[in-house]
Amino acid sequence: MLQKFQYAAPTARTDLLALLAERKGKAKLLAGGTDLLVNIRNGIMKPELVINLKKVPGYSGIRWSAAEGLVISPTTTINELLRDANVRKSYPLLAECAHDLASYQVRNRATVIGNVVNASPCSDMAPALLCLEAKAIISSSRGEREVPFRDFFKGVKKTVVEEDEILERIVVPAASSGARGLYRKLKRINGHDLGIVGVAFMRKDGMVRLGISSSAPTPVLVESLRETDTVETVIAAAREAISPISDVRCSKEYRQYMVEVFVKRLYAEVK
Amino acid sequence: MKVRVTVNGRIYERDVEEHKTLLRFLREDLGLTGTKEGCGAGECGACTVFLDGKTVNSCMVLAVEADGSSIETIEGEAEDGKLSIIQEAFDHRHAVQCGFCTGGMVMSVRELLQRTPKPTIDQIKEGIDGNFCRCTGYQQIIEAVLEASGQAELADKGGLKYV
Repeated sequence: MLQKFQYAAPTARTDLLALLAERKGKAKLLAGGTDLLVNIRNGIMKPELVINLKKVPGYSGIRWSAAEGLVISPTTTINELLRDANVRKSYPLLAECAHDLASYQVRNRATVIGNVVNASPCSDMAPALLCLEAKAIISSSRGEREVPFRDFFKGVKKTVVEEDEILERIVVPAASSGARGLYRKLKRINGHDLGIVGVAFMRKDGMVRLGISSSAPTPVLVESLRETDTVETVIAAAREAISPISDVRCSKEYRQYMVEVFVKRLYAEVK
Repeated sequence: MKVRVTVNGRIYERDVEEHKTLLRFLREDLGLTGTKEGCGAGECGACTVFLDGKTVNSCMVLAVEADGSSIETIEGEAEDGKLSIIQEAFDHRHAVQCGFCTGGMVMSVRELLQRTPKPTIDQIKEGIDGNFCRCTGYQQIIEAVLEASGQAELADKGGLKYV
């Protein structure tokens, strides 16, 4: 049985922001619930109030415009992202990462924004969002601010989002559309599993970028690489950027080794 | 909080505590115990039900969130005492041993066949990768899905060909 909490399902954005301001730090936001309810069950989180976001107008769906790019909402699920024609056509790396996240029925509920605000080092969406230079639009009753994902993660389970704020939109710039990319995730079983390491590899306009998960306290972005760089240079940059630990899933040496293996393979696979 | 849901076509209205999961609500408040709790953390899939047409792990949904929704569970799979095509195939192919995973497994298979009426073996594996079975080793389940999707010939090949 879950511990007790109060429940609210605001039907106006202003009500939601007011609730967040009023219950600072005592409230948790519920979108897909696939992490939140497990954390409550395990006693890791003890919110006084759980706020369901699914009744807030404007908090659902995916939008695309040539001016702004791709806009992802707080309740956009992973499967919605995977079904979106613009995502598949223009942002294949997002679909690659989304497809590797958990199981089908979890992807029916789990949200893209939920996967990044939890700030797990093994987030599957973060590597793609880092490579694609996505931005987080964060709101509160104090106003709105924009943070690029490269500055978004602050540590294990820590982000720049304050207690009275909500990550209201993810914007993947139109300039990043057409980037080629693949994601490789090491896991124990072929079905759903947490990643042991994950590497997203992107090429666009002569640039190479890597997004690496489960290899440092936060998902890692490796940039300033060129398509003309040798595979050894790219591997060295990846090795430099990560700081893996040994844990129940594997040793830090194995993580480092497998990141290098994936980078080497992806260097050849991503054309 | 008052919750009104349609489960397998029947409307239920109950007062429910805010912190109760949909899974517990189905089992304890509505007496629909075909949906099982395995891990309680969204890994095993024994609690899989349809929520507004999509499969979800009901252990990770709050009953209050489901207010106004339409839910389908394993209890609604057979109609008028007649097993569904999927259930028939599970029976025929010995895809059930202890039966604990079967309710959720059948839900995932139904959703897979709605999306992909004639799945390949790889698509079947992906379709059920959120449902653990600790008895059968999956072989018979894959065969049952092949049979339920009109691919009995492929299922008849049997053996270790699929692994």
